[in-house]
Amino acid sequence: MKHDTHPQAAHAASKIPSIALGWLLALLPAAAFAFFAAQLPALSKGDALTWSLNWLPSLDVRFGFYLDGLSALFALLVTGIGAGILVYAGYYFRHEPGAESHESSSAAPGSKPMAQSSWFPVESRFFLFLILFMVAMLGLVLAADIITLFVFWEGTSITSFLLVAYKYKLESARRGAFKALFVTGGGGIALMAGLLFVAHIAGSSDLAKILISGDALRASPLYPVMLSLIALGAFTKSAQFPAHFWLPNAMSAPTPASAFLHSATMVKAGIYLMARLYPALGGTELWFWLLSSAGLLTMLTGAIIGLRQNDLKGLLAYSTISQLGALMLLIGQNTPEAFKALIVGVLAHALYKAALFLIAGIVDHGTGTRDLRAFAKMNLHKAMPLTLVVGSIAALSMAGLPPLFGFLAKETLLAAATTEGLPLIASIAFPVIAVIVGSLMLVQAAILIIDTFFGQGVPRVSSTQLGIVAQQVPRTSEVRGTLSHEAPLGMLLAPAILAVLSLLFALLPSFTSPTDSPFAKFIALAAADAYGNKVKVNLALFTGFNVPLALSGVAIGVGAIIFGLRSRWVNREAYAIEPKFNVRHVYTATLAGLDRLAFVATRLQGGSLRTYLAIMLVTIGALVAVFGRLPVGSAPRFSFDELSLLRAFSLLLVVASSAASVVLKRDLLAILALGASGLAMALLIALEPSPDVALVQIVVDILTTMLLLFALMKLPKDGGLPGGIKVKHSPPHRRFNSRDALLALGSGLVMAAICFFALTSRPRQSLVTPYYEQNSKPLTGSGDIVGAIVVDFRGFDTMIEISVFGMAGLAVFTLLQFAAKKHEVEKERGGEGETISPSILGITGPTLSPFIRALARIVLPLALVIGITHMIYGHDQPGDGFTAGVIISLAIGFTYLVYGREEAIQRLPWVNPPAFIGAGILTVMAGSIAPALLGSTFFAPFDFGDALKLPLPDGFYISTSFMFEIAICLAVMGSTSFMVETLTKKSD
Amino acid sequence: MEILTSLAIGLLFGIGIYQLLQRNVIRSALGMVIVSNAVNLFLLSIGAYNGVVASYAKVTGQRSDALPQALILTAIVISMGTFSVALALLRVLTARYSTNDSERISELKH
Repeated sequence: MKHDTHPQAAHAASKIPSIALGWLLALLPAAAFAFFAAQLPALSKGDALTWSLNWLPSLDVRFGFYLDGLSALFALLVTGIGAGILVYAGYYFRHEPGAESHESSSAAPGSKPMAQSSWFPVESRFFLFLILFMVAMLGLVLAADIITLFVFWEGTSITSFLLVAYKYKLESARRGAFKALFVTGGGGIALMAGLLFVAHIAGSSDLAKILISGDALRASPLYPVMLSLIALGAFTKSAQFPAHFWLPNAMSAPTPASAFLHSATMVKAGIYLMARLYPALGGTELWFWLLSSAGLLTMLTGAIIGLRQNDLKGLLAYSTISQLGALMLLIGQNTPEAFKALIVGVLAHALYKAALFLIAGIVDHGTGTRDLRAFAKMNLHKAMPLTLVVGSIAALSMAGLPPLFGFLAKETLLAAATTEGLPLIASIAFPVIAVIVGSLMLVQAAILIIDTFFGQGVPRVSSTQLGIVAQQVPRTSEVRGTLSHEAPLGMLLAPAILAVLSLLFALLPSFTSPTDSPFAKFIALAAADAYGNKVKVNLALFTGFNVPLALSGVAIGVGAIIFGLRSRWVNREAYAIEPKFNVRHVYTATLAGLDRLAFVATRLQGGSLRTYLAIMLVTIGALVAVFGRLPVGSAPRFSFDELSLLRAFSLLLVVASSAASVVLKRDLLAILALGASGLAMALLIALEPSPDVALVQIVVDILTTMLLLFALMKLPKDGGLPGGIKVKHSPPHRRFNSRDALLALGSGLVMAAICFFALTSRPRQSLVTPYYEQNSKPLTGSGDIVGAIVVDFRGFDTMIEISVFGMAGLAVFTLLQFAAKKHEVEKERGGEGETISPSILGITGPTLSPFIRALARIVLPLALVIGITHMIYGHDQPGDGFTAGVIISLAIGFTYLVYGREEAIQRLPWVNPPAFIGAGILTVMAGSIAPALLGSTFFAPFDFGDALKLPLPDGFYISTSFMFEIAICLAVMGSTSFMVETLTKKSD
Repeated sequence: MEILTSLAIGLLFGIGIYQLLQRNVIRSALGMVIVSNAVNLFLLSIGAYNGVVASYAKVTGQRSDALPQALILTAIVISMGTFSVALALLRVLTARYSTNDSERISELKH
């Protein structure tokens, strides 16, 4: 009995402990941190470091990195805090069984979570997402091209979605994640449009070029449009009012992720973007009012609503919103002081807020709750003294008290808010709101520490009220009450370092040299890179008695009074009730509206194919009549001078055999008629003359026929059951149906008319074809022009085509796998689904001639040889990878037909469809990326055999197009053998 | 020649539509193939040149137009992929409702 009480624990012993994993993974960002730190001396000379690679040369898009003071600051934050977070996360997850645990109570006995079989701890998923996010964030702040920047921008949205939804079994996590993705993703679309405008006006998507074409951008009539679009993207990302509401809900992410994403890095992406683009777009009236008003509103919203939070992380989220608003306000200003304050603010906030989030995580971990009301009786200052010390340092920085870095941030903010030359309204509003927000920040910081650690939460809570609490504030485990424990030292390491840095950054420059120390110079450099001009930086804590210091004093005083009187205004039970009006309602209403729209749209689709087709045909007719501009005026030419009897005959053949597929009563015969029509198509194509396409048409036609036959074998059959019961599964065969015929006739006539006008008025000189004809041999080395177009000139297209084909194979597999399962369930229920053994085809019958069996044995090797020859010499001769793939698949299908499924699988153990598809797609990617790494560009033709001086037979090249052919062949083989394998699967 | 080609395309299209509208799902699948054949035929005929030789770099004489051929090549491959997915869907449907009659399936769905 004892051995199976803790199967999980016994299993866990064989896994890497998550603490070790955290330390190990932290080496990655730590190394990156060291790398960026090593670049700082070079950067201090004032030049940006760049590295780039041609990506899409035809669109002038380059994939590159750009490192200057501003991006170095963010890169150091991302990697430095990232390393700390990874170490912390290792400890954070050390007892957690992971996200799967939430189902443990409801899971059926005997069902094992997937991750148990893995060698890694369950939380490795979290680490993976976190590292992916780190890469995306790093790419975002280092991107040298705004297209690259946008790609990474979206990358942070997606990875943050995964992190917020990490505990996907909780509804709140799923909803929070969706909300975050909906808002930031919507902003992302606007951002993309705005960035494309910018790239268009500046004439390049290169960041360095955009930064120096500020005058052209600001003078453009499109300036308001692009600024609004970009600002929309940045505001949603950085949780500016009124798009701030997603951030508090995103707090359902595990705390290490919140500390990293929602305080230090991702939410600052919008700040980074606006600061980055300031030299290009900033300095105008519109910029000033847009950013200032959004910033001011956000500051106030965050500071006020934050006071109404019962959730520790909710409080931190709103103070983050407020701080982000302040940063946005600063970017709106046109003064060097503002940019100094911006850089100091970014750094200060990242340091203290990440630390506070980590402290909140420790408290949550130690007590099992984040509810401020629940801490009242816990006496956490006794249980967690070290946590209290670290938290207090960070909170003092948040409150803006000396001698901490947060004080400097507030001083510089106040100095920027009181600079001369502001418009009248702003010169009043800025200092007033800055002081109000400053005092409220102090109150929030005080609540954070006092209410959490000293249990002064008002009023005291009873156990029944705790029941209500559980619904509002998600808890990770049972409330442990007095059993709360101090965190291990490793968990305290990251917040402690951050808190100490908050102290050191404030003290060191002040006591050494406030303007000349490397640190001050770095701040000045980052600010100058954002501002586009020199910025003077003085980091002395005390700069004499002046206006900012006085205002700071007022803020501290007011804050202290508000906090002192908090028993008068704090009513925590009332906070649990949602206020009547909330921006969230707008969001909910939008979603409801979308749902409604979708409902109406689906109602329009009644499911009748006939109605759809009629609507489509009428619409096409109308479109042709209105926009088609058929050359009705000029009489069409009825010339027969290009008439070829052979062509006319094959046209007749195509049409007649297609018509036969309608008339013939047995499905099998109809399928064969269709096969004949496909072969007649191949004849037509061969007459063009176009041997490549004809070849493909032939093999595809055979494959189609084969798949149809496989499918037919498995369709429900009419027939008799024992006991004389007649079963009818197919509808009666109708030779003629007047309604359908009318529709078909109408659409055929319209089509014929369109084709006729199109064909008679088509140009008889091509603009593009001569280019391909002249350049295919010199540029791609391929004598086969059609092949050259497919694998070289339109290589990207073909790569996508291969992926689509591979996906089709996977889709067939998934669908039929699903269907087979469904069927089993129905069988178990004793339901219908009686299929009568299919022997109608003759090929599955018992008497198979030995000749055919022998034939099947040699067909496959032959097919392999033919396929490989096709690939090798397809360069100059008919045939390509696709043909090769289909030919081999046909042989595989033939084996299935002759030997039956079970024996075929035994005979062909090497047929592994998913591996084929994967290998094909990987090969094509490698083939397209390799030239770029070898000094050419993506998708450029490259002859590896020539470059390596390999002795190869005449007419055989190992080049990118050869890799393409192999890739196509593999993907097609994988996909079609998937189809064959699953279509032949017995469903019963 | 154009008049014959367009007539053939129109006929093929009509036959395809008629097949698509049939109640027997296997016939609808046939209709898909016929319609895509009609479209490929149109693409083939739109080429600018009346070639007498295939489009290869080393041959002399009037080449056929390579561009529409490359497009058809892609079209054939993609329609093959779509077609196989359609077949799989049909199998799922027919197995689920154990009938080949699309109208019967619609009835059973409601």
